[in-house]
Amino acid sequence: MTLYSAPDQALLHAAVEQVWGSMLFEAADPWPADVPADFETGLQAHIEIRGGWNGRLLLTCNSDVAAQIAAALLGMGPDETVDELDVHDAVGEVLNVVGGSVKGAIDGAMTLGLPGVRASASPPSSEESLVVSWRGSPVHVQIVPDAEGL
Amino acid sequence: MRALIVDDSRAMRRIVGRILVDAGFEILEAGDGQEALDVLAAQGGDLPVLACVDWNMPVMDGLTFITQVRKQVEWRSITLMMVTTESEQDRIVRALAAGAHEYLIKPFTGDALVEKLDLLGLLPTTVGDHS
Amino acid sequence: MTIGHEAFTFVRELVRAESAIVLEPGKEYLVESRLVPLARQGGHKDVDAFVAELSTRRNPAAMRLVVEALTTNETSWFRDTDPFTALRQTVFPALAKTRSKREIRVWAAACSSGQEPYSILMTAQDTPELSGWKVDMLATDLSLEMLERARKGEYSQLEVNRGLPATTLVRHFERLGLGWRISPALAAQVQFRQLNLMRPFPAMGKFDVIFLRNVLIYFDLATKRDILRRVRQVLAPDGHLFLGAAEMTMGVDDAWERVPAGRSSVYRIREEQRTCVP
Repeated sequence: MTLYSAPDQALLHAAVEQVWGSMLFEAADPWPADVPADFETGLQAHIEIRGGWNGRLLLTCNSDVAAQIAAALLGMGPDETVDELDVHDAVGEVLNVVGGSVKGAIDGAMTLGLPGVRASASPPSSEESLVVSWRGSPVHVQIVPDAEGL
Repeated sequence: MRALIVDDSRAMRRIVGRILVDAGFEILEAGDGQEALDVLAAQGGDLPVLACVDWNMPVMDGLTFITQVRKQVEWRSITLMMVTTESEQDRIVRALAAGAHEYLIKPFTGDALVEKLDLLGLLPTTVGDHS
Repeated sequence: MTIGHEAFTFVRELVRAESAIVLEPGKEYLVESRLVPLARQGGHKDVDAFVAELSTRRNPAAMRLVVEALTTNETSWFRDTDPFTALRQTVFPALAKTRSKREIRVWAAACSSGQEPYSILMTAQDTPELSGWKVDMLATDLSLEMLERARKGEYSQLEVNRGLPATTLVRHFERLGLGWRISPALAAQVQFRQLNLMRPFPAMGKFDVIFLRNVLIYFDLATKRDILRRVRQVLAPDGHLFLGAAEMTMGVDDAWERVPAGRSSVYRIREEQRTCVP
């Protein structure tokens, strides 16, 4: 198979690993199945994919994880703080690059939307989530296809 | 030497900016294609030698920006490099046809950007000094 | 900062034990630069801390990664640029004048994951003098794993970003999932084979061009000399040898002479030695 007709979790994980490894200098190991992937309150980034497959990707993580991801992306030291605007922007950009990689692997003419980020207090539905570990904390990445008939 | 970075992500502008500063560039920034055109117009004759351009941006996307830049004879000297997560073959072909000189796909490492600068002849020193 | 003496010694001994490759003093920078990504991935503050933990805990997986990081070649396309410019502008045109069978044989002697042989073939296609010629490419490596990767010709997004002009990418590659695959036409031109440079070469005829870049640096002087002597036997008398930028034949095997080629240089067998080659 040269290209995918729809994104799956393996493709998504490979895309996340590539972005983590090259831009954040971290491994994106799968979250262990026997540990609850707790989520309290934090950020949710979203980006749309349109074309032969239609849906969204979501990335959800706790606020402190989001700040760490932003600091890693920007190459900042552990004692430097990233302001909230930059955290939103950085997490959105991380999902943007993941989304672009995933979209490029899908067959046909596809378009990628612009990323958006908002505060979120509702945990993502875990059965559909790819959960990867960020320095011992969970990051949820989801593929959400548009509902049939919409 | 000056470089213009056109990207709607502040984080990405900082990342690209830091690599370019290390390579000896001074940086101009714009958050979308239209803002970038305005920045170029404001420079008069003192143009940046390089523009690193994202594809997907609000207001005006990177492909449109490149097409607009190529229409202006006085901006011919600017080297244009797409730096984008758009990675399909036909996208790259379209950008090159529109006038982009190089194309760097996100995610990228600092070395990869420096190597592209070397390909474009925009590196004052050799790649080996940066690795 | 540079790697400390203790850490360097540990790594040198580990690599020597696993690969017979000797990292002489002076290779500290090489060790440091190759191990920084591993140290960072492991969350260590620097290479010394990473190696210190490695030397106490001896985690086999981490040790293997260290050996691999120090024994596999860098994997940029058109690595160093200048040798490929020299191929296109000097070496290939010169060969085109003298090879009446319209066929050139090239050996990439440490092909790693394949970027070098494929880069040579792409360069041949960009050489007008070789239009319509057959380029017979042999690519060898010690590592079966690397050969398998090279044969498949599949590269990640990150790998195709390295030194590959965008025009070349869209011309010679196609998308494959998250990454890219070399065009079947190009892959079909390469014969991949395992070869240990330290052992006698198998029968493989004579080559017009040999790439032996950034390999000799890992061997001791006697091995270097032996390899260069045997390379002379498989290079056409008027053939061209490419070494890494930091490598030279002087003082190792003086049957070679260094000849400028563009901004690069190639090694050729001295005139008076050409008749002596068995």
